Amino acid sequence: MHLPKRLHPLLLISLVLPFGAVQGGEVTAAHPGAAIYQKLCVDCHGPQGEGVAAEYNEPLTGERSLAALTKRIARTMPEDDPGVLVGDDAAQVAAYIYEAFYSPAAQARRNPPEIDLARLTAPQFRTTIADLIGSFRGGFQAPAKGEHGLKARYSARPRDAKPEEEKTGEVKKKEDVRFERVDKQVALAFGSESPDPATMSAEQFSVRWEGSVLAEETGVYEFVLKTENGARLRLNDQKKLLIDGWVTAGSEVREEKKSVFLLGGRAYPLSLEFFKYKDKTASIELQWKPPHGVLETIPERHLIPQQVRPTLVVSTAFPADDRSVGYERGTGVSKDWHQATIVAAVAVADHVEENLAELSGVKPEAPDRIPRLRDFARRFVETAFRRPLTEEQQCFVESQFGFAKSPEIAIKRVVLFALKSPHFLYPELHERAEPDGYDVATRLALSMWDSLPDEALLRAAGEGKLQTREGVATEANRMLRDPRTRAKLNGFFHHWLDLERAESISKDPQAFPGFDEAVLADLRTSLALFIDQVVWSERADFRELLQADYLLLNERLAKFYGKGEVGPGFQRVAFDPKERAGVVTHPYLMSALAHNKLTSPIHRGVFLTRNVLGITLKSPPNAVEFEDSKFDPSFTMREKVTELTRDTSCMGCHSVINPLGFTLEQYDAIGRWRTEDNHKPVDAGGELPMDDGEIVRLTGARDVADLAARSEDAQRAFVRQLFHHTVKQDAAAFGPNTLDALRRSFSASEFNIQKLLTEITIISATKDLPTPDPQLARK
Amino acid sequence: MNPLHSPLNRRQFLRNLGISAAALPFLAGLPSLTGAPLPQRRQRVVIMFSPNGTLPSQFWPDQEGADFEFKSILKPLEPFRDRTLLLNGIYNKIRGDGDSHMRGMSCLLTASELLPGNIQGGSDNPAGWAGSISIDQEIKNFLQSRPETRTRFGSLEFGVAVPDRADPWTRMSYAGANQPIAPVDNPYDMFGKLYGQMKDKESLVSVLDDVRDDLNRVSSKLSARDKMLLDRHLSLVRDLEQELQNTDADAALQHPVPELDPSIELVNDNTPQISRMQIDLLVNSLANDMTRIATLQFMRSVGQARMRWLGIEEGHHTLSHDPDGKQESQDKLQRINTWFCGEFAYLAKRLSETPEPTGEGNMLDNTLLVWTNELGKGNSHTLDNIPCVIVGGGPGFKMGRSLKFDKVAHNRLWLTLANAMGHPIQTFGKASLCEGGPLQLS
Repeated sequence: MHLPKRLHPLLLISLVLPFGAVQGGEVTAAHPGAAIYQKLCVDCHGPQGEGVAAEYNEPLTGERSLAALTKRIARTMPEDDPGVLVGDDAAQVAAYIYEAFYSPAAQARRNPPEIDLARLTAPQFRTTIADLIGSFRGGFQAPAKGEHGLKARYSARPRDAKPEEEKTGEVKKKEDVRFERVDKQVALAFGSESPDPATMSAEQFSVRWEGSVLAEETGVYEFVLKTENGARLRLNDQKKLLIDGWVTAGSEVREEKKSVFLLGGRAYPLSLEFFKYKDKTASIELQWKPPHGVLETIPERHLIPQQVRPTLVVSTAFPADDRSVGYERGTGVSKDWHQATIVAAVAVADHVEENLAELSGVKPEAPDRIPRLRDFARRFVETAFRRPLTEEQQCFVESQFGFAKSPEIAIKRVVLFALKSPHFLYPELHERAEPDGYDVATRLALSMWDSLPDEALLRAAGEGKLQTREGVATEANRMLRDPRTRAKLNGFFHHWLDLERAESISKDPQAFPGFDEAVLADLRTSLALFIDQVVWSERADFRELLQADYLLLNERLAKFYGKGEVGPGFQRVAFDPKERAGVVTHPYLMSALAHNKLTSPIHRGVFLTRNVLGITLKSPPNAVEFEDSKFDPSFTMREKVTELTRDTSCMGCHSVINPLGFTLEQYDAIGRWRTEDNHKPVDAGGELPMDDGEIVRLTGARDVADLAARSEDAQRAFVRQLFHHTVKQDAAAFGPNTLDALRRSFSASEFNIQKLLTEITIISATKDLPTPDPQLARK
Repeated sequence: MNPLHSPLNRRQFLRNLGISAAALPFLAGLPSLTGAPLPQRRQRVVIMFSPNGTLPSQFWPDQEGADFEFKSILKPLEPFRDRTLLLNGIYNKIRGDGDSHMRGMSCLLTASELLPGNIQGGSDNPAGWAGSISIDQEIKNFLQSRPETRTRFGSLEFGVAVPDRADPWTRMSYAGANQPIAPVDNPYDMFGKLYGQMKDKESLVSVLDDVRDDLNRVSSKLSARDKMLLDRHLSLVRDLEQELQNTDADAALQHPVPELDPSIELVNDNTPQISRMQIDLLVNSLANDMTRIATLQFMRSVGQARMRWLGIEEGHHTLSHDPDGKQESQDKLQRINTWFCGEFAYLAKRLSETPEPTGEGNMLDNTLLVWTNELGKGNSHTLDNIPCVIVGGGPGFKMGRSLKFDKVAHNRLWLTLANAMGHPIQTFGKASLCEGGPLQLS
């Protein structure tokens, strides 16, 4: 896309100007601040602020305002002798640095940001494959809203107990269904009784449950069947049993387990058959252990009585995507990655071959089978490439049928070719100078769903409806309602709140008896449900995420966090607004940001600084380990941290980190409210120096939440992080004012997260779209 | 010429000349296709099963010893007369839970009692899976435990028209108590299991050229910055091609990959074709030393195959219940069992036509083919005198004879087989039924 003809005019000018001149906002060595910089700063920061190894090896760039930068320099620089550089000198050197290389505008001028060519990331690859194959099964199917549980059919005699039906025979025994109902969960202990003595005997009966299971997170799910009777489970595959426990072995309750890899945010069809025959007792329980969860009866909210269509899930292990810039993106290829795409492509080709009749809709005995399979092959490549094929490509696909020994082999080759092609792996190849409707559709699908365009999008592209902002907005708003958008946003919150850290929480069992895996899993659910409720409510208010004075708790959590009865499932439980403030004080995050017995104001402070307030922090100059035994045993945690970071080289950052972290000292290492630490009252107050030199007084977590909700910098940081997660490209490549404009519209929408996501999607999708008015375009 | 326009690229051209890039494992790092050690004398066992008992009068010869005449059912074995051993008097003496069909099937190769369970047969108590390992798996484990007899699969379980259900009537191989092993009754699946890696690689190799051309074409249109990534990708594709070509040199198979007719549907009426495909694959897997132990299971106990290819409309199991006096049914059962014998003979024929890869004789010389059944006789449901025919050769077996034993437990037959394979076990299955030790067959 970035062809030389679109180089920024300013850059061209600056290349030909002599060194030392000032032109169009450019500053050079002639600037009065430059001399000061040469004298006091260059040794550590390098001539162009690029950094100096062993001194300060990070580039001197950032998003502080000029005033803030000035204050900071005056306060902290030079590090070995702060106080030398103050007043006008500080202002001059700040102005020079700001203009020459520090500010975003200077960065944009020096290194014009560009959109990087990117391959599908590993999660994008999986979703794309699921939807590519799914498009031949009728498209992505959103699970029906409403009733939860599984549809159950209770029958009077065991199905297939004395088998007569054969693959070869035509006899098929009918189930003798006596009643139907929806079971909220499958956890039934019939004992020696009949499920319904009026309609069936206790000696023999059978039940069939059908519906779908909703997987929240991507990962390995272990399914467990517990029964002393006969049972078998199908999941996401009508043809193959996941668990076959049809034949018993004595009267013991057996536990049969199988693990499957599932993509989060999707539903998978499930059917469970069960029968009792002359066994003394009968019981059945369908459990699972979801990723980061504990073994439990599959909860009601994860079951629906409708059977959705199956989804092809590629379980191939991919190497981790690059995250060096703070978000996952597909800008590198490696041998491992290449190998993984091949293994996955072969698995998909096998799947297509095995299910050819179903996917192509062509029966093996159809007289026009070959031309129709040829058509299927073309549609397959088209869907994979996200656009109609060129004549060459069509010719290539058709030619496969000419020399392959059978149409099946031709199809397999076409699938392998399509999935190994750069047109599939690199969704936007930048082959065209200006994006066409299919490019826009591709961008929309990637931003909203991490997937490929659905039928409606492709139709809109074909009809030229994606050439205007309005047309794009219509589609983006439609796509927002799709569950795949929810899955994508879940990924964002996972990243924003650094939940990966939470996955390894372990606490001292003596200090926190009963704080086990089950409580942790509940906390994770509590946080996920909270975010889900806020984000998908009508207001979708970002501020509520920070300021909510309630938690979603179930019975077990309520006990832990000082509340009484809450009722079934997870319920909204109100707290004193001083005690709870949205994600800022959520006990799951408080637990993650703490040691196994003690709190960690530094972890908490860094999290609040970077993720919530959006203040850039450099890496610590020297790593210091927190060793509890080295402190005076009578110290509070606040006192220990203050002591530990007393050094001036620390305080550059810790003057911000510490006061923020200390506001959370009112939450112990598992996030319970406390007023005492080490037998002394907790002091949660502090003074936070702001970039503009203002000092903000903080008295507790609520003040931080309020600050984050009203601070433009914090809002901008949220916008930036969401942009990067959504688009997986540098926001600056979409224009220097992109983030500011997005922040303003975010603010104007009363901080509606859904609208922000839609706006991000529209902006990224319409980049370089030719303006309909040619006159405007020329300007 | 643009590759997308050219009807044939280099790979395809080579393929069409018959020089395929086959005969190599898929991607480096995977075990070789056969996983077999160096050539040596290879002793093998194949156990074939057909269901619902036989017609004893048309099966067992009247004579004992070397001078015997085949009855009608066994006539297809005439060409292998001097390599055939008929064992009359073998009893399945396992009792306990489960009806005769269940015990006939699931205790056939395990020779011990079924576990209690919830599967109700036509009579007796309900029962569960077998309670111990089956003889094929026992011998497999033994062979796999020694480097000199280890093969890629150790054992292969073939099926023909086995219904898609798991219960004690459909399983005869067990890895242990409660661990039934499902036979693969789809020749395409079996082909995939045996040669899938290689076929995948073949397909892959044939598209890599095209992928490379595609990458080159796209790359030429991109800016220098974008090009860097695609060029790196391109070099990965080239490396892989190189790797695949380098592995071309090793792992030549003794026997070429069989060609399967791609259009056989897995339905009852195609059973004869499916049977031959499976037998061909079985012979091929033995010839390539992918395994030395195999089972071949036709249908299942109580199987209701409708053998329209023999002009028979009724289900096999239904026919097997008809009384001896019903001549029409007797004729049909005679045709059914003769057909099974024909498949058994085809297996023997294929092996006898295949030279032993080590150079001496043919493969049948070193293979013991055992054909058996879950019942002695269909309409009596007896487990006495179950059909037992051995064709081929092995140490300690003097072939070309009809033998009559005095009600010996079938445990002892499996003991004999294990010992012939060099596995010196003293008992197998229910120990108390092993009294007398292995049978004297030399």
